[in-house]
Amino acid sequence: MIQLFHVSKYYDRRLALSDVTLDIEKGEFVLLMGPSGAGKSTLLKLLIGAERPEEGQILVQGRSLSKLRPSEIPLLRRKVGVVLQDFRLLPKKTVFDNVSLPLLVQGASTVEIRRKVTEALRSVGLDHKKDLFPPGLSTGEQQRVCIARATVNGPIMLLADEPTGNLDPELTSEIIELFKSINARGTTIIVATHDPNVLAQVNRRVITLDQGKVVSREQVCP
Amino acid sequence: MSVRRLLYLLREAVANVLTNRTTTVVAVATTAFTFACVGVFLLLYVNLRAMASSLEQDIQVMVYLQDDLTEQTRGEIELQLKADRAVGALTFVSKERALADFQSQFPAESHLLQGLGRNPLPASFVVTLAVESRSSEAMRRWANRAQAIPGVAQVQYNQEWVEALAGIVRYIEVAAIIVGIILSAASVTIIANTIRLALYSRREEIEILGLIGASSTFIRVPYLLEGAALGLLGSALSLVILKAGFELFRHEIRSASRFLGVDTLLTFFPVEMCVVLVCVGLFLGCAGSFLSLLRFGEGRA
Repeated sequence: MIQLFHVSKYYDRRLALSDVTLDIEKGEFVLLMGPSGAGKSTLLKLLIGAERPEEGQILVQGRSLSKLRPSEIPLLRRKVGVVLQDFRLLPKKTVFDNVSLPLLVQGASTVEIRRKVTEALRSVGLDHKKDLFPPGLSTGEQQRVCIARATVNGPIMLLADEPTGNLDPELTSEIIELFKSINARGTTIIVATHDPNVLAQVNRRVITLDQGKVVSREQVCP
Repeated sequence: MSVRRLLYLLREAVANVLTNRTTTVVAVATTAFTFACVGVFLLLYVNLRAMASSLEQDIQVMVYLQDDLTEQTRGEIELQLKADRAVGALTFVSKERALADFQSQFPAESHLLQGLGRNPLPASFVVTLAVESRSSEAMRRWANRAQAIPGVAQVQYNQEWVEALAGIVRYIEVAAIIVGIILSAASVTIIANTIRLALYSRREEIEILGLIGASSTFIRVPYLLEGAALGLLGSALSLVILKAGFELFRHEIRSASRFLGVDTLLTFFPVEMCVVLVCVGLFLGCAGSFLSLLRFGEGRA
């Protein structure tokens, strides 16, 4: 489903990714491990079209991202859920409104929005907090709202960049369990992390990056 | 576009305005005063133009005839003038009638003519030109043409007045265009800066919207609406300021007895022009927003 062929990316001549070749199947749960600056976030940015590689090619569902017109990038992002370390929730909008945003931008009807948002919030156990504002939630709850927002429109893949970076080990387990259940429903999940707690709980494929290069590919049987 | 989506965009535009309340008020007020400055020139132009065209309507061209003309030649000249499309109306004033008019208008000076022994005043045609021939240029062309008719001694009209007024109107027109362009650019800049502040204060939200697949149109519409609203409010407020200033000026003119009657000649913009001015404000507001969005998209905001 996701294929990278000899992908390289530079920021002001500084190498962020070097000759990365990867193949991720539909429904896989992949951990991208590596220290800060290894190129994990860059790789995720390339997958949502936020950056373009200087060299190589990226295919998502057989479609080359480098051939996408700027107007097609939003369409790609509607198929991809993104979860970030700092949650990126809108503080002045309710939990419901935050989660409904991806549906709203796609032009979903009011009935559809209500149904899907309620489902997404129920799946992360926060349907009773739909009228609260993000600052009134705990960090774990905020991350769950973020996951609900990322999955509300049934994406083909979920990209998470250090999703447990602000969470304690207990909340980390909760979030990983959520990811596992989302993955069990068929969504491809790629989690970029340097948190060993995540690695301990996810016995799946681990791709380790260092200084922009893939240094190991471990296939762990679940 | 679904109703919910439309409502969201409108809500966001209102939220933008409310978030930056002070900046919005300052932008509307500054835009209003800027538009009002342009409006003063426009008002001056509209009134002078109206005055010029009213004067042009009153102006009559005097076609003086040579003294030794036969009745037949006079008749031919009359026919020639009547056949001219530029001539709206024509009245013949005989030598005797001219003398009688002079004596009734200037009774104190009538003895001057009596001393001459004969009537020195020429016969003439008083010509009122057709509406389309009343501009100073058309009047000049017609006068030259009439002057060339055999038997015509002289053609006179109040050329200086007409040309001076036309000149002033032209200057005001040019000044209004120059001031209009400069101040419109200033308004666009003011609105662009306000929108830039709004974009800056909500850049995180814009990033999030981009991340979840919002199209650039969806992201931009609230800011375009905000710019349009600022332009619209600014231009509407400028009309209120202008109307208040105009009424105050008219009141002052009315109070000053030496300008008796002048106040009735003064006119404010007609409703259609007010609508056009508000639409121009709205357009300039959109242009300001567009400029900021362009710079924001290029990462220069």
